[in-house]
Amino acid sequence: MANRLAQRLAFWRPPSEALPFTVLFKKFQSILERNNLILELMADMGDKLGGEYIFDGHYIAEAAEKLGDQVFKLISDYSILNQHQNADLFVAFERIRYAIQEELAGHHILTGGGPVAELTEIGYEQSELAGAKMATLGEIRRRLELPVPDGFVITTRTFFDFFQRNNLFDRTETAARLWQEQALDDLRQLSEEMQQRILAAAMPRRLSQHILAAFDALAKRQRNRKLKVALRSSAWGEDGSSSFAGQYRSILNLGRDELIDAYLQVVASAYGIEAWRYRLAKGFLENETAMAVGCQAMIQGLVSGVLHTYAPQAAEGAMLVNAVWGLCAPVVQGDASADTILLDRRPPYSPLSLAVADKPRQLVPAEDGGTTWQELPVVLQKTASMNPAQMEELARAAMSIERYYKRPQEIEWTFDRDGRLVILQSRPLRIHVEADAGQGITEATRDAEIVFSGRGFVAQQGIAVGKVFLVENDRDLAAFPHGAILLSRYTSPRYSAVMPIAQGIITDVGSPTGHMATLSREYRVPTVVNAEIATALLKTGDEITLDATQNIVYRGNIGALDRFELIEEEVFEDSYEYRLLGRLLKLISPLHLLDPQGEDFTPAACRSYHDITRYIHEKAVEELIHLSEKQGARSLSAPKRLATELPLGLMVIDGGGGTTCPPESPAIGPEQVVCLPLKELLEGMGGMGMWCTEPVAVDLGSFMSSFTRTFSASMARPEEIGRNLVVVLDHYMNINMRLGYHFTIVDAYIAEKINDNYIYFRFLGGVTEFIRRSRRAAFIARVLAHYDFLVEIHGDLVVGRLKKLSQQRMARRMRMLGGLVGYTRQLDARMHTDRDVDHHVELFLQAMQACLGE
Amino acid sequence: MVTNEAAAPLRILILDDEPIVCKRLKPAFQKLGHTVETFTDSGQALARLGEAVFDLVITDLKMEGADGLQILNGAKASSPATQVIVITGFATLETAKESYRKGAFDFVAKPFKLRDILDCVKRIEDRRRGPAAESGQ
Repeated sequence: MANRLAQRLAFWRPPSEALPFTVLFKKFQSILERNNLILELMADMGDKLGGEYIFDGHYIAEAAEKLGDQVFKLISDYSILNQHQNADLFVAFERIRYAIQEELAGHHILTGGGPVAELTEIGYEQSELAGAKMATLGEIRRRLELPVPDGFVITTRTFFDFFQRNNLFDRTETAARLWQEQALDDLRQLSEEMQQRILAAAMPRRLSQHILAAFDALAKRQRNRKLKVALRSSAWGEDGSSSFAGQYRSILNLGRDELIDAYLQVVASAYGIEAWRYRLAKGFLENETAMAVGCQAMIQGLVSGVLHTYAPQAAEGAMLVNAVWGLCAPVVQGDASADTILLDRRPPYSPLSLAVADKPRQLVPAEDGGTTWQELPVVLQKTASMNPAQMEELARAAMSIERYYKRPQEIEWTFDRDGRLVILQSRPLRIHVEADAGQGITEATRDAEIVFSGRGFVAQQGIAVGKVFLVENDRDLAAFPHGAILLSRYTSPRYSAVMPIAQGIITDVGSPTGHMATLSREYRVPTVVNAEIATALLKTGDEITLDATQNIVYRGNIGALDRFELIEEEVFEDSYEYRLLGRLLKLISPLHLLDPQGEDFTPAACRSYHDITRYIHEKAVEELIHLSEKQGARSLSAPKRLATELPLGLMVIDGGGGTTCPPESPAIGPEQVVCLPLKELLEGMGGMGMWCTEPVAVDLGSFMSSFTRTFSASMARPEEIGRNLVVVLDHYMNINMRLGYHFTIVDAYIAEKINDNYIYFRFLGGVTEFIRRSRRAAFIARVLAHYDFLVEIHGDLVVGRLKKLSQQRMARRMRMLGGLVGYTRQLDARMHTDRDVDHHVELFLQAMQACLGE
Repeated sequence: MVTNEAAAPLRILILDDEPIVCKRLKPAFQKLGHTVETFTDSGQALARLGEAVFDLVITDLKMEGADGLQILNGAKASSPATQVIVITGFATLETAKESYRKGAFDFVAKPFKLRDILDCVKRIEDRRRGPAAESGQ
């Protein structure tokens, strides 16, 4: 009995004393400020990846520390506001902070790495797991949208598991000593012994099961029960600054039954004497040896070959192509004569010369596996293996890859039976560095006309040579030519559509930390924003050289600059610091928590600092609304009804400076709204009457009635309806609105200082059948994208984010959102076909154009 | 028409214990036609300053062994005409003051924009060409 009482008492605590509303509101404001500061710090770090800044390891550590500190304080502030311990938020924070510290300490974390990985999941971040060669292919597929053979990677994790289970590492360390003593015979013996042991070792069953399951899944995707694959080595360091060209094995055209044995053969080639000596000579340590193996559907190449994107020994300004009928291997191994083609490095990449070789036979996949030579018909023997269209297509792909990696590339390619170009492999091409490389540049740039220099900000460094193409609308964007330099008045995330084929980007207006700049960095397109006078001085068709490292635009083609960049000792994007900062940002910046109403909008789902920040921001607004309703009546900030002609049923909470309404007044007139975002939003809604007559045939009366339905009696309890509530400060607004069946959130800060400005817009519809909802989502997404929002669609949910535009442009977009919210209300019944989406987008944009002049 | 003015190439020594800084700065100056030597060890840099004359030394401040101010002294001792730019990630008013007092041409806090340091070097070139050039004539 006494025990039970004690237990009960243990749960009893004196009621905590509530903090005054004004204190809590101060906390709320501090959360908003810290929120903006954190976003700013994150953007600054991202900015450093663009290459305009010289930074070092010390900076990275310090910035990460400062950011972590702010996020920690943000959680603490929030804990006071909601008066909970929020242990789960602190746990999420610690998890991220720990990962950041491990990265800074130089401990690689192989995250999420299984024994096999699909090629579609691989990019350069997975280099450790997938090896350099396959990571490059994954990146080429993902970033440049070029076709590569479908397949998967047997990861380095499998390599380590297999070696450890068979105790294969026990003698590898002796190699370094043998090399040092130059005991080459002993080294050779060790190499042979290692290879034999690997080939004789048992593959753990769990691993073979994973590998075979991945093979079966590939066969299913390929709809080929007798699928043949190619196995390619993908070791650490391979194709990096050391090429390892031809040191490791590839095995072509093998089936399921031979897969595991073939894998062991490829892995054993890592310890072949040439490969091992090569590594030792290059100073690789034994613990830097690991081999992933790519397993890809065998491509039946009709014509294949190798392309060098830069071939100064053959001709200045030319690409060199060697091509044969059939598979690519003979060109790589050099055991068959090949056609030699020189292509201009500049668009449209015209052929400069073509030497057709005598090609009596071709290598083809053999019926029962492996490859075999086949005699060619006489007519083909002396015919050029490539046609001009193929040359141009290949050249385009090659220049995209070179532009991305900023290094001349050696590319293995093939055209398959359907005539489709497939990239098999790409590795940096080592070019001999001329001692006086700089001298050539000084001469080349001395007399060049400078169009402008030092204007605006570098968002992504690099050199771009090409013809200017002015983009003013979506039609221009669709017509954007390969290899051109995009010129535009404003930045827009929409331009990511052409980033894989653009040489460079210049805009008059924009921020180096805006959404488009982030995309430029992802695609590594040399980009200068906010150059102010670019569209005044340049026009479509002008040939220019954009030096987005020194931030100078020259008239004409300064090839020397381009070449200098291609032979620079180290590419900034390949440096350890760049990669480290990139990896940290992966733990910091990505936003996974997009939907505050979604089930996974929880502390446990926070995977980045941005997630935590977003979560707290959203919850803090909710908390404030809750508090103001509960205790606000006793304070100045009780919610007041907005008295407007639009029956929105909107309650306003003024956190300070948002209205000129006297405290005792129960209602606010629209003229008393000071808060800029709300003023503009209301303006947009009220302005509907101006343009929603013809031809859209939505009269103001029915528009109103749709608003009125908001509070119809058929609705459930008020808390289920959701509140039509807005929290305002002078420059800040957070509005939660349910109109009919649509639920909209807009969170915005708009002031003089461009860097703080942002709009977050979220729209969720309901009720109508899914197909109509998705049309509506498509409509909203396209309108938002037109106004430069970064848009994400998840089913019926549309999230648009916009940041860092001038106050005036931000304000116009708020007004547009007001219009959009009203317009969309009427849309449900009107979207009968997909064509209606185009129609409505056009009507809406026209109307807005008339309204906003933009 | 504006063009790049031809200037006499400079001999530049860059010292920073973080290789990334050297690797980034070197090509930027080479591109302008200057000759560049880079060091990540201040002892070796000091020794090099003893045997060759440089027009410009760009040095980190806080390093193992000899620090930036010792390098500054060393550079000025071997050739008083050598200009020195001090770059640091630990910028304080005190360190800046001391650098200037000891004769640094400029003091730049890391991280900095490539453009900033190039402009800084441009000012040094202008000064070398004499007061007429410096005043833009």
